[in-house]
Amino acid sequence: MRIFATDMLAAIFIGALLAVTDANDTTLTPSRISVLKEAVDIRKIPSPVSQIRSESLKREGIFRPNQLSSRVPGLFIPDYGASLTSTIYLRGLGSRMENPVMALYVDGIPVLDKNSYDTDWNDVRSATLVRGPQGTLYGRNSMAGVLSVSTFSPSDHDGFLGALEYGTANTIKANALAFFGNNVLSAGFRHGNGYFKNTFKGSMCDPYDGISLRWKHEKALSERIFLSNSLSASASREGGFAYGRYSDGILHPVSYNDEGSYGRLNILEGLTGRYSGEKLSVDIAASVQFLSDDMKMDQDFTPEPVFTLRQKQLSGAGTLEAIVRKNASSETWIPATGFSAFWKGNRMEAPVLFKEAGIRTLMEDNANRNIPSEIGSLDICDSSLPVNSGFRIRTWGSAIFHESVWNRGNWQVTAGIRLDYEAGTMDYDCNSLLHYRFVPIMKSDRELGVPYSGRISQSSLQILPKFSAMYEASEGLLIFTSVSKGYRAGGFNTQIFSDILQNLTMNALMDDLGVHLDRPSVSVGAANTKYSPETAWNYELGLRGSKGKLKAEASVYLMDVRNQQLTVFPPGMSTGRMMTNAGRSRSIGGEMEASWASGRFDCHISLSGCDARFVEFNDGNNDWSGKHIPYAPATTTFLGAGYWWPVSIFNSVSFRIDGGIRGHGPVWWNEANTIKEAFKVQLDGRAALSFDKWEFFVRGTNLTGTEGMAFYFKSVGKEFFSKTKPRIILGGITINI
Amino acid sequence: MNTNRILCAIAAIMLLGCTKENADEPMKPENADFKGTVTVIYQDQPFDNEGIVVNFIPSDDGSTASITLQKIRFVPQMPVTIDVTIPDVKLVSSPTEITLSCEETIPLAMGGEYPRYKVTGLTGKLSGQNLEFSLKFGDYPTSYKGTRP
Repeated sequence: MRIFATDMLAAIFIGALLAVTDANDTTLTPSRISVLKEAVDIRKIPSPVSQIRSESLKREGIFRPNQLSSRVPGLFIPDYGASLTSTIYLRGLGSRMENPVMALYVDGIPVLDKNSYDTDWNDVRSATLVRGPQGTLYGRNSMAGVLSVSTFSPSDHDGFLGALEYGTANTIKANALAFFGNNVLSAGFRHGNGYFKNTFKGSMCDPYDGISLRWKHEKALSERIFLSNSLSASASREGGFAYGRYSDGILHPVSYNDEGSYGRLNILEGLTGRYSGEKLSVDIAASVQFLSDDMKMDQDFTPEPVFTLRQKQLSGAGTLEAIVRKNASSETWIPATGFSAFWKGNRMEAPVLFKEAGIRTLMEDNANRNIPSEIGSLDICDSSLPVNSGFRIRTWGSAIFHESVWNRGNWQVTAGIRLDYEAGTMDYDCNSLLHYRFVPIMKSDRELGVPYSGRISQSSLQILPKFSAMYEASEGLLIFTSVSKGYRAGGFNTQIFSDILQNLTMNALMDDLGVHLDRPSVSVGAANTKYSPETAWNYELGLRGSKGKLKAEASVYLMDVRNQQLTVFPPGMSTGRMMTNAGRSRSIGGEMEASWASGRFDCHISLSGCDARFVEFNDGNNDWSGKHIPYAPATTTFLGAGYWWPVSIFNSVSFRIDGGIRGHGPVWWNEANTIKEAFKVQLDGRAALSFDKWEFFVRGTNLTGTEGMAFYFKSVGKEFFSKTKPRIILGGITINI
Repeated sequence: MNTNRILCAIAAIMLLGCTKENADEPMKPENADFKGTVTVIYQDQPFDNEGIVVNFIPSDDGSTASITLQKIRFVPQMPVTIDVTIPDVKLVSSPTEITLSCEETIPLAMGGEYPRYKVTGLTGKLSGQNLEFSLKFGDYPTSYKGTRP
């Protein structure tokens, strides 16, 4: 019920506006609502900005967020695991768990759950990534940048757009957009058999089936009021987790026995509106978000029946934001003041099931290692042992912010501040039940149940200032500098609870038995599982220019990250890792992006290089200060070019060829920096024969078949890698009528 | 006022009478915890386990008791400590102390009988706040002295 409160508020707010304005239906003006919150034009945003429009997205084969990797300088979203993974690294920062360093907005609505980030982009008009902390306007999780995605509006086209393609791994991808009146309806479907074989099962481990739908309705209710409503839903069922064992320098094939799958249902209803008065304008954005997903994972990734995880969650959220601005035209001072609030509720069940080999190796062997054999040994009689974890997580927050832009002569100065309050509670209810014997002493089994429940809570207040100055040195050349702060929200470690309960169970068992090990008992409890926000200060200097058909932008930055959220080995835990505020790091880097078009030729280049290192980080076992931050590549490179020419024997027929070279690296895969992958490049390409309303195309990614790694991790002392996707070639047709 | 003083005096006399009468009765064993030191003679050297808690739990009729030694180590090299219960310890009460004895019994540990450390020759006493006893756990002469915390 509370979820709908924000939308109700939005409706009341808009209703109040409607009451004081004429309700004349006028021509749509989609540009009235920008998906960016900045008061100034994109060219005058004092941060590096990459914007990729739909035509480029199509030509460069970008249909999911992770395909922006390297195309946007400094961005790396490795494609591994399943759709919930969405690990994001930007400017050398990021982590594989919990909250992202980059906020995602779709049509001006923040996507609150990272599990919903990775969706198919069937109807995206543009993707804009503003880099550097954008905390003042965007708040939580915009610590390294904001990706703002805009979908097609009813006024963008009239008729029908469609595409159908087929290729490697029996991939079928279809999408259709129908524009009628004030509406756009889009639908997409994707099927793939998968790219990696699970050699133990003899089947592909990463098949995918998914559909997505969106209905967007936009209407100008009067000269002054414009509304846009977007209702989207997507459902997918997929395999995943193509992780192969790495030992003695050899990467073995994917081979595990238990199910690895992920199913997801996403629904997002977002309403945005703008009231444009004579002196003021008011933007509102409200949303209701729903996520239901179900992940099954073989946690040991071996053919042995060790342990599995099933994580089911049901999540609902509501957001509301309002920004009041002084109109920009002919004003030297453009103030903007806003309010935002959100509420999110999450209900999660995450049972870990220990199987025969897991009970033996992770529980019995661990205990018996410390018990002299002449005394006896522990025997857990169950063939499988569930460690049940249930969570109810509620998070809410509100913020007020102000940003003012002053224009004077060739100068533009921006100053802003945001007060952001966020709080959350987590109710946990965990338990395990086992039967055991201590042989040869005990003559019969004994039952032992261990419950563990309670509530933890946390809250934080962030002050997020920003100051920037931009100078127009000459026509088309802007120099900017900025100091800004962003943060990544805190949270609760849910993953560690199975380890906590496993340890509690073993300790309870030993207590029940009257045997006490000479090691510390569990030193991590629920109270230790919360972590605070991570914050970053960014100092930036850049320039942006255009001359003729050349557009270029370059910047250098220093990011100082405090209270960094890092995974550590808690004392007293056998296998678990958990997120905590364990350190500090800094990232120094530079980025460059340029595009040039002339006649039939166009090209684009994106480059970045950064040196991101821990300044302080002790993970409980080792001190990694001075080491490179793992997983984030030190450089990213993209070089794309396209050329088209008319086919002279036909009217309005043309042939176009596009190629793109993407590179990233080196990547250090562990905190010790002992496992390193060198800089890798891959070639993507597309060739299309275009008619008036039709286009036939062939496109490919990783045409060079470059073998690389997308992910590395350790589980129960074993190392694993996930490989990058192999060569993929697709052919198809698009229609535009 | 005078009436109250007279009543108090009568009550005090009655109480003294009762106390004198109870002082002649044997001590009644009751559940109690003691904290003290277990000394195990290992390789002819005393090996002390300090701060050992002992639970003394008499039977309903007070004729026997079970004594549980918590977290003890018989030899320094033991990587774990264990809880050991000595069942069927005979009790003989007198007005000033309770004597403990047990010729031979199999202790309980780790969920069952633990013959490896068979108890023999247990003797001891419980007097006032103190508990002390000696015995042999298997081949290890062992003694305990503890007081109620």
